[in-house]
Amino acid sequence: MPLIIKDEYPKKLFREDGKRLDGRSEKELRPIKMEVGVIQNADGSAYLEWGNNKIYAAVYGPREVHPHHLAKPDRGVLRVFYRMATFSVFDRKRPAPGRREKEISMIVADCIEPVLFLELYPGTSFEVFIEVLDADGGTRCASTTVAALALADAGIPMKSLVSAVAVGKIDGKKVVDLSGIEDKAGDADLPIAITWYNEEVSLLQFDGDMDLSEMNDFLSDAKEALESIHKTQLNVLKSKYLKLQEETKTNKEKESKKGDE
Amino acid sequence: MMDIKRIISKIERDYIISNLKKEERIDGRGLWEYREFQIKSDIIASAEGSADVSLGDTKIITGLKYEVGEPFPDLPDEGVCTVMAELLPLASPLFERGPPDEQSIELARVVDRGIRHADCVQTKNLCIKEREAVYILFVDMYVINYSGNLIDAGGVSALTTLISAHIPEGVWNSDKGETDWTGKYITGETLVKELPFVVTYGKIDDIIFLDPSLPEELVCDGKISISVTEEKITSIQKSGAATFSIDEIKTLGKKSLEIGKKLRKDLNLLQYLSKID
Repeated sequence: MPLIIKDEYPKKLFREDGKRLDGRSEKELRPIKMEVGVIQNADGSAYLEWGNNKIYAAVYGPREVHPHHLAKPDRGVLRVFYRMATFSVFDRKRPAPGRREKEISMIVADCIEPVLFLELYPGTSFEVFIEVLDADGGTRCASTTVAALALADAGIPMKSLVSAVAVGKIDGKKVVDLSGIEDKAGDADLPIAITWYNEEVSLLQFDGDMDLSEMNDFLSDAKEALESIHKTQLNVLKSKYLKLQEETKTNKEKESKKGDE
Repeated sequence: MMDIKRIISKIERDYIISNLKKEERIDGRGLWEYREFQIKSDIIASAEGSADVSLGDTKIITGLKYEVGEPFPDLPDEGVCTVMAELLPLASPLFERGPPDEQSIELARVVDRGIRHADCVQTKNLCIKEREAVYILFVDMYVINYSGNLIDAGGVSALTTLISAHIPEGVWNSDKGETDWTGKYITGETLVKELPFVVTYGKIDDIIFLDPSLPEELVCDGKISISVTEEKITSIQKSGAATFSIDEIKTLGKKSLEIGKKLRKDLNLLQYLSKID
């Protein structure tokens, strides 16, 4: 529930007790909740709540490429469409996609492509639709994380998952996982993603200022946070398959009982 | 995962029709039965009202935003409420990217007309200063999963969103010629009076049934949507190539009022009124 009427930034981003405005310590992540298989029609899908961010991702593919001229004869294409709902931000966003949404779509696609075996799917496309319904800072990182999860849910062969997080500087202090207000009123913002199969950086942007030692700290802080996000992603996928395993088991038992009768 | 095709095979079509002739539905429902509604309200922190409504596997998330703007010259003391719908390509392989198509415009229009003609949104309470400043409400529906009958799910979603609304209260500052904010909120009780429900039927040959599911929607000849308040019919939309006899329309009008009453009682949407002061 929005309690601000004007979109004003606070002067200080730390409270008197040294915690951040939402009560977190400097290296603490916001609460993260993930779910897979949330959209029945899609080949794969995932839902992510990350702080106040609420994002759906759905994967369709491999399927025919539209428009046809985008198809590549020797490999599949990955297309990502990042969109924000009109009510996901403070001032109503116009319904048509803007430049920012197109840029982020491209960045997310470039970030995820390395983990896919697109050469196995010539002439087809994988389309990932990301819908941000509620936005509160770090949506490109959250979108990357949830898109990777949706691709895995679709059963598409992947070298590994991808996880992303933003680190940055607010009031001169280094923090992990910037919220919307910290992103807007802070001094520096560095979104970063890791492809886990080679543990290399697949998304990297930076706005603000930092010296070399700060950059080193940012990278190691981010790595630590990303490991915990990766763990959550893996757990969500594992629990999906454990559930399926149990279902098949009970179904089989039922069938064998029927057979006995 | 459901198998969705734009074209349903003749065998499947015949199967659906022969079942309907026996007054049976492929999902086990009776002819006049809704799928289950599931409703959550106020789920979007950035929106001034929101709802997540599922009707069977159809899922629509709606949010409300507002702007302060000038009123229409012919209604100088009334606010404005507009409804928009997005059929996200995320929701179905049948939906394509791009600007709103006929289907999404029809969805938005039918839901909008149901609300507009029912004395639902109290537009006079949305006036800050006559001729100068009124609230403009945007009720935006996003289809998350498409499994038939978007109109009825959208209607409940838009209505729940309006009921859960909490819009900052503004007063006119005539010295500065702009709006000042009191820190209080206008909530659903001031905003919404009548609760209109849209009731949609499909028709195949001469069989009519409530709440078409996706396969039924794909094979049916046409649909009819009737919006009702407690006592009155407030809007009707016939779509598709089906034709309806006068008697059928009369029966459906009566039936819609009954179904509307039942929905009003079963869904009890007023429980979603915003608790904020």
